[in-house]
Amino acid sequence: MSSLPVRVAETADPRALWPDQVAQANSGTWLIEMLLREQATLPAVETAVEEPSAVERFASQHAMGELAREAAAATGDVAAQPAPASHYRALLPATPPGPGQQYAFEVDLDRCSGCKACVAACHALNGLDEHETWRDVGLLVGGTSSAPVLQHVTTACHHCLEPACMIACPVEAYVKDPITGIVKHLDDQCFGCQYCTLACPYDVPKYHASLGIVRKCDMCSSRLAVGQAPACVQACPHEAIRIQLVDLQQVADEAEVAPFLPAAPDPQFTLPTTSFRTRRAMPRNMLPADYYELSPQHPHWPLVVMLVLTQLSVGAFCVSAVLNQLLPRAEWTPFQPIQAGLALCVGLLALAASVLHLGRPLLAWRGILGIRHSWLSREILAFGLFALLATLYFAAVMVTAAGAVDLSAWLRPGAAVVSAVGAIGLFCSVMIYAFTRRTFWSLGRTAIRFGLTAALLGTATVWLSLVLQSMWAPSAALLESGQRFDRWLAVALLAIAAAKLFWEAALFRHLASRHMSCLKRSALLAVRRLPRLTLLRFVLGGLGGIVLPLAYLHALPEDAAVRPDVSLVYVTLIIALTMAGELLERCLFFAAVAAPRMPGAVK
Amino acid sequence: MSGQSRPPRSIMSFLPPLRAHNGPLTQHLVLEPGRFGLGLVPAATNPDATAPMVCGYCSTGCSLDVHLRAGHAVGLTPTADYPVNQGMACPKGWEALAVLDSPHRATVPLIRNAKDRLEPTDWHTAMLHLVQRFRGIQQAHGQHAVAFLSSGQIATEELALLGSLAKFGMGMIHGDGNTRQCMATAVTAYKQSFGFDAPPYTYDDFEASDTIVLVGSNLCITHPIMWQRVMRNRHSPQIVVIDPRVTETATQATLHLPIKPKSDLELFYGVARILIERGWIDRRFIESHTEGFEAFAHFVQDYSLERVSAATGLPPDSLERLAHVIHQGRRVSFWWTMGVNQSYQGTRTAQAIINLALMTGNIGRPGTGANSITGQCNAMGSRLFSNTASLLGGREFSNPDHRREVARILELDEALIPSQPSWPYHQILEGILRKEIRGLWIVCTNPAHSWINQHQVRDILSRLDFLVVQDMYANTETAQIAHLVLPAAGWGEKDGTFINSERRIGRIKKVRQAPGQALADFAIFRLVAHYWGCAALFRQWDSPEAVFQLLKRLSTGQPCDFSGIDGYQALEAAGGIQWPYRDASRDAGQQRRLFEDGRFFHPDGRARFVFEPPRPQPEPVSSKFPLLLLTGRGSAAQWHTQTRTSQSAVLRKLSAMTPYVEINPADARAAGIRPGDLVDVVSQRGRATAKACLTPTVQPGQIYMPMHDEGTNRLTHAAFDPYSSQPSYKCCAVRIELHHAPA
Repeated sequence: MSSLPVRVAETADPRALWPDQVAQANSGTWLIEMLLREQATLPAVETAVEEPSAVERFASQHAMGELAREAAAATGDVAAQPAPASHYRALLPATPPGPGQQYAFEVDLDRCSGCKACVAACHALNGLDEHETWRDVGLLVGGTSSAPVLQHVTTACHHCLEPACMIACPVEAYVKDPITGIVKHLDDQCFGCQYCTLACPYDVPKYHASLGIVRKCDMCSSRLAVGQAPACVQACPHEAIRIQLVDLQQVADEAEVAPFLPAAPDPQFTLPTTSFRTRRAMPRNMLPADYYELSPQHPHWPLVVMLVLTQLSVGAFCVSAVLNQLLPRAEWTPFQPIQAGLALCVGLLALAASVLHLGRPLLAWRGILGIRHSWLSREILAFGLFALLATLYFAAVMVTAAGAVDLSAWLRPGAAVVSAVGAIGLFCSVMIYAFTRRTFWSLGRTAIRFGLTAALLGTATVWLSLVLQSMWAPSAALLESGQRFDRWLAVALLAIAAAKLFWEAALFRHLASRHMSCLKRSALLAVRRLPRLTLLRFVLGGLGGIVLPLAYLHALPEDAAVRPDVSLVYVTLIIALTMAGELLERCLFFAAVAAPRMPGAVK
Repeated sequence: MSGQSRPPRSIMSFLPPLRAHNGPLTQHLVLEPGRFGLGLVPAATNPDATAPMVCGYCSTGCSLDVHLRAGHAVGLTPTADYPVNQGMACPKGWEALAVLDSPHRATVPLIRNAKDRLEPTDWHTAMLHLVQRFRGIQQAHGQHAVAFLSSGQIATEELALLGSLAKFGMGMIHGDGNTRQCMATAVTAYKQSFGFDAPPYTYDDFEASDTIVLVGSNLCITHPIMWQRVMRNRHSPQIVVIDPRVTETATQATLHLPIKPKSDLELFYGVARILIERGWIDRRFIESHTEGFEAFAHFVQDYSLERVSAATGLPPDSLERLAHVIHQGRRVSFWWTMGVNQSYQGTRTAQAIINLALMTGNIGRPGTGANSITGQCNAMGSRLFSNTASLLGGREFSNPDHRREVARILELDEALIPSQPSWPYHQILEGILRKEIRGLWIVCTNPAHSWINQHQVRDILSRLDFLVVQDMYANTETAQIAHLVLPAAGWGEKDGTFINSERRIGRIKKVRQAPGQALADFAIFRLVAHYWGCAALFRQWDSPEAVFQLLKRLSTGQPCDFSGIDGYQALEAAGGIQWPYRDASRDAGQQRRLFEDGRFFHPDGRARFVFEPPRPQPEPVSSKFPLLLLTGRGSAAQWHTQTRTSQSAVLRKLSAMTPYVEINPADARAAGIRPGDLVDVVSQRGRATAKACLTPTVQPGQIYMPMHDEGTNRLTHAAFDPYSSQPSYKCCAVRIELHHAPA
């Protein structure tokens, strides 16, 4: 390549015969350096040159007309309005909300053309992070081939009268402004539990993983406070979004009689204030463009672990308490140390896992602030109390077992109390999901699911502790009663596991449904989008809950005891497989739920 | 201890508060009053200066105030008082800076090594390599054996330098631009009908019309800021949309005519016949300002209601209604976009629209015109100054007077100006096939994705001895197959001007540093000139602003004369200036339209009626390929091959993440396709996998795929308009079948 200048000189092309140029081609590096230097220089950095820099030049033009506004802005004079104010003045209410009123978005669907400038402007004017958007534009399609209808729909937070996010929040990180009605999120109060993202039926609060908190639209409250329009209102080229005053009673009344937008979640739950206006008729078959889209939801692994383990712990205490009530004290007491110890350890592990779910775990203590309204706060309190009582109970068991103090009289009522508090915690867990009104998470379904998990894993744990205890402290009496429990527990476990798997599999009957119901959606998600997870769940559950217990029962001699080490292998396998199965089941519980949301666009 | 003891702090004060209404996270999003009329802005990016500049995506030509901190762009807002966008922008504009930060930026020159991989090199090596290879090819196979393809996305000054360098400096004969894919048809139609490539309108016409006829244009999605002007029309206009699909724009129409694809010619000839028969024409205008009307009137007699109705699939009364609406309107404007341009008979279709405007006298008055809406931000700059199909300033290579004039202005030897015009894009590709062209320099465009019949294009490009790709991004489909990749600075990282759809010249500016060693295209051209040894020819061309002065001189006396613009500063002060601008007295006003005096650019001052019988569809549907594939824009957040728009997280969110195809539910049912199924769309040329979206907005027998997805052009059929050479992207025969994943 270094021979190039020679080639240049040799060529017959008259264009190349510029002697000085040929010489320069030898040392083009000076030009490269100069051009790179020029490229790296921004006009503003050139302040040393005599003329006004290019930035000053091109900025001055703009600034001159703005001097008055600039001065006003600097002094906070809100009377001097920014440049776009003349455009958006008509899109804001003339007066602040009166009693019984609040601010609300109003979308003129006839003017929303689907350009989505509102989303980008909201992102830019609010300084959101790269991937963060607070507004969204969906698409509804319907009608017939001779009269098709398509309708883009811009939506953001609906600043509901009864915001589910706020009711769900365990740390009081939401406030609904008493005058404007704006539902504002307190970013510094949030500890990142993301419960609001599950509770809001409109998919409004968005989790910001790197900050560990949720953020959401606040209708640009700081802009409204100084008479400026929210970013989306300012930026809609077609004036499709405005802020209006709504009458609170009217919002509630309208929610009673009509859906506020075709294919949107039922407004009865939270009483959203946004109104979507159109003069056109919407055909009855309007569906969101993403209606048939199957998007698995976030599996929330720490929650999966936390739920399964708390249920194991509570289940173990409950099963143990039941046996405690049914059996003579002498027969049961020997099993208690290991049983209580195991259950307690797992329970504490579960609480640790739950903290891992938080974006800001150091603020976990704030979790009970919402006790008056948040099922999550109640769950935190109940399980906190459960852990405390279980620890005390375990201490009592150990003290008694060591023979230091005989607290055996207290153990039976103690076990009942620990179990009852645990059961309350478990009920709170159920309510957390039932509150979201997702069909797949309905009160009945979630209660059956969580309850059976508790029964299954509780039984398995009690069984394991029994085997362990009989290995470590073998005695004739223990072996004898152990033998009896063995069979009972194996049969119970088999029955519970079979019932649970059957009940879970019953979801797939919805696949035959013509209607794309929430449950059909969940079933489709399970078989189409998460087929491996689903298959593995049933294989592990079937192996651990049915095949192995059957094999064990089959191997069980009629009247003799099984060798403890053989039992241990069986029981350990059973508990490992059922536990794994339950973890996967819980993963499906999160991932295959049909999450309500506003109509979406083609994905 | 001092006497003053502080009150003891309780332990609680060291703990985080029970209720934190404020704190570092809240501060993240705090807004504060911005200067420059911005209202509240994020405190972290509150600018210390702003710089208005024209957006770098589409031809609307919106102005964006780029927010600067210490000269560096940190954000932007649309310019409130710019006559084009009046404070608005589409998502692409809002996100214009975000795409500059992409990890896919080309930051150093890349050279293909012995292992067939692109490896980093330095500019010196890259330039020596480029010169050596191109010269080698030219010496062995002739000057014409190296050609270039440019773009409507770089500054006019850059286009002029590239075109001049390539043709006058490097001796190339053939060069074309990606503008061939978007507005070549409009150019040819205007040249033949008006005597010069001259879109006559100004955006105020959208607001002044009482009847707006949109042909093959989904304005809501392709040009949202022009749709803004329609929405601001206070005359309750009749809006006619002629489009086979029910688009966003069609749903806003007062009259939507879902014609059979490519039956526009019959429609407009039929409507012309009705207008003539009923006497709904402007005789005085026709007689004073046009040529060829009688022949046209005679020609359209054959287009009876029945014939047109059969051809277009429209009931006769909607044809009558269209004629009536045009007749009723006092200020009727006709607008067309790619539905017309990208057709095997686009030129005549555009002229059929022009004919309607001429015969009804709807031109040269506010709210009227036969108006082509262009695609790219600087398509118009390319039309006038890319020095490809036409010589600088809208002149002809074949005209010796024009060559002499250009040689005089540029102070160069007239012999350096080729007397033959460039081959159009598809002929350059054919030239590669015939081995007449062996070296190609592609600047700022992505033919391996965007050109029609993609398999064939990739095959053709792979036959080149030497392919140079100059682009902002190293990951474009075309860059991936290049022998040499030159890293270019993008919009926001360089200076120059664009010319928008309404002929308005606006500024772009350097407000960001380009990454790595990327250089402005202008600088790269200077570098090539230097290494080629022809820099002396371009002594006057040492900065974009100096070139702007040259362009002014080149425009003098031409219809596009803008010699009255003092310089860059004057452009900004005026909020952009439309050509012609000879001086302030003759060309005053911010919204100017052409032909107000009824004089067109043909020597006799008369516009021409140009017409021709429709041609058969190049690839009609058959039993094997029973569906017609329509293509077009997917969303307002996507641009062309998405090299830029896919770099913004926000724009990605606002567009479909997977390729999709819109199918009428009846067709889907017949093929056993359910919503969301993966399907293969198959044409004679290729196969593309996409997700099925069932929608009645496409008619039975037709399907629609966005052009942004790479697979779409594997299917398209390479047919061209014979006059404009524009590819006919929007009608090819396909079939659709369920996708079976390979086992």
